[in-house]
Amino acid sequence: MILNPSQKRGLVGAAILAAVLIAIGLIVTYFGSRYQLRLVYSAFVNLLVVLAMQVFMGNARLTNLSHSAFMGIGAYVAAICVTPVTVKAISLPDAPWGLNTFSLDPVSSAVLAIVITAVLALIIGLFVVRLTGSGVTIFSLAVLVIVHSVFLYRTDIFKGNQAFFGIPQVFSLTSIVVLSVIVVFLVRLFRESRWGIQLRACADDEVGAAAMGVNIRRLRLIAWVLSAVLLAVAGIAYAFFLGTISARPFYFNHVFLTLAMLILGGMRTVTGAVLGTLLISFGLECVRWLETGPVLLGVDLPEVLGLSGIALGVVIVLTMALRPGGIMGDYEIEDFLLKGQE
Amino acid sequence: MEYVAQQVMNALAFGAEYALIALGLAIVFSIMGLVNFAHGEVIAVGGYTMVAFAALALSNPFIVIGGAIAAAVLMSLTLERVAFRPVRYADPTTGLLTAFGVSIILQNVFLLVVSPRPVAVTSLYFLDWPVRLMGVQVSSLQVFEAVTTVLVIIGLMLFLKRTTLGLAMRAASLDFEMVRMVGVRSNRVFAMAFMVSGLLAGLACIFIMARRGSVDPHLGFNPVLKAFVACVVGGFGSLPGAVLGGFLLGAIEVAMLVLLPQEYGGMKDAFVFGIIALVLVWRPDGILSPRTEKGDKI
Repeated sequence: MILNPSQKRGLVGAAILAAVLIAIGLIVTYFGSRYQLRLVYSAFVNLLVVLAMQVFMGNARLTNLSHSAFMGIGAYVAAICVTPVTVKAISLPDAPWGLNTFSLDPVSSAVLAIVITAVLALIIGLFVVRLTGSGVTIFSLAVLVIVHSVFLYRTDIFKGNQAFFGIPQVFSLTSIVVLSVIVVFLVRLFRESRWGIQLRACADDEVGAAAMGVNIRRLRLIAWVLSAVLLAVAGIAYAFFLGTISARPFYFNHVFLTLAMLILGGMRTVTGAVLGTLLISFGLECVRWLETGPVLLGVDLPEVLGLSGIALGVVIVLTMALRPGGIMGDYEIEDFLLKGQE
Repeated sequence: MEYVAQQVMNALAFGAEYALIALGLAIVFSIMGLVNFAHGEVIAVGGYTMVAFAALALSNPFIVIGGAIAAAVLMSLTLERVAFRPVRYADPTTGLLTAFGVSIILQNVFLLVVSPRPVAVTSLYFLDWPVRLMGVQVSSLQVFEAVTTVLVIIGLMLFLKRTTLGLAMRAASLDFEMVRMVGVRSNRVFAMAFMVSGLLAGLACIFIMARRGSVDPHLGFNPVLKAFVACVVGGFGSLPGAVLGGFLLGAIEVAMLVLLPQEYGGMKDAFVFGIIALVLVWRPDGILSPRTEKGDKI
């Protein structure tokens, strides 16, 4: 395979980002406490989600709000498959279709989760690609609500807002760092691939791109399904480390959080997605600490619930007002180091 | 027979509420292409104003209702000035995400300043009493709701068709540049759109509060979510579309409540959204959307 110049630049950029991620992983592994390790792990899960969102939102530039639902589907399928039968006999005593009578090894569970999510995404995607602009946003919102009410309603399978427990811990921080490095390369190469370039052309000028022979719907479908597959991977990583999942983390709060990450960094570039995730994950921890009313420089601050929500909202509004393209705009990280644009 | 009539009345009342909210969304969207997710928080502001009035021991219903509507209008105008003016000419996605951000901020401000729990508001209970209408037992609130929505639609139609500013607004929804070029102040058009939107949110707030009797930070979120769906189904930016979508949604929702067996009750929203999604597949741009080709100026 021969890479064109922009793809080569893409590899350099992805390598730099990968180096940053590996460095963070190493620092936390050697110096972090158990609690910090958990925080960093969930930041990496969110990074996977934001990268997956970038595939569809960044290239097709349509706002999708159903990403947490696909993450949830992946997480639940993997969790139901991998949990041992003995645990499922307690947690899912009246599951239908013999769901509590089998268990698979982690690899086949993950593959099954990805396949099921991809098939669902393909079916939903066939409808999504027919819509435009705000239609996509509202449709994806409907998907989010539908999936969430299924999670809540079928308590015999998903346990609703109660915890689905007993998922064996398969992943460690190392596995998720490796996973995110792979995903960073994948997402960046997709952006620089023929499909990525054509998709971005559609976003800039739909009629023009169509006139040049670009099959817009097919491309959007490809990006949509790829995005869903990566979201399933994020969901699997979530379930395989935390050991318990419930429906709540896959709803509006998570949608807003990851959206803010993607917007702050800039959804058009992979560097933006990574930067936004790192900034918000770190910033939010500081705000959460303020929220509990700590003693700062001898001053006993009051407890302010909701501060983290306000901070997220302010980040979104200010980014949109001051820099609609996010911090990175159209720049990838290697543009600061290598000479010449594309 | 009476049962059917009653359910039809229910559907009309639900639909009227959705139509009120959907109109408020559509009027802003038609002019600036903004998907205003913060509309629900404008409704909540009205609700919290009622709480404030109750705390001040003002129980005169006219003051409470007038105050809530005024607060919603003010809030809507403030949002236009503070949050949406910087993104006025930006692409729709930027506006939508800004509105999202505003919505999160306001919800958390309510949570922080007032309470995360529902606060009871009893001053509007007097609006609700059982009446017999042509042999059917209905709630007076449902009648008020349907009548108000009809009046609002007539009023809005008169305003848009018979006044200069209304004409400017209709023109602005087609070609804003041209409207500015003939000397209409764009700020005034935007402010008017948000004022009407706030007024409609205030009216919707009265009915929501009279039915629920309490306000919490997420008061407006679910109704607005539904109203959005109504807008999209009717054809985003089309005012008749918003009304049609609202009533259609009300009808589907009541039909689901009646037809779904008891044990599927929790799945009502899933079915409603599913049907709506199918309507969108049939008409991707909504039922009443104008026929435009991509690349048309308007």
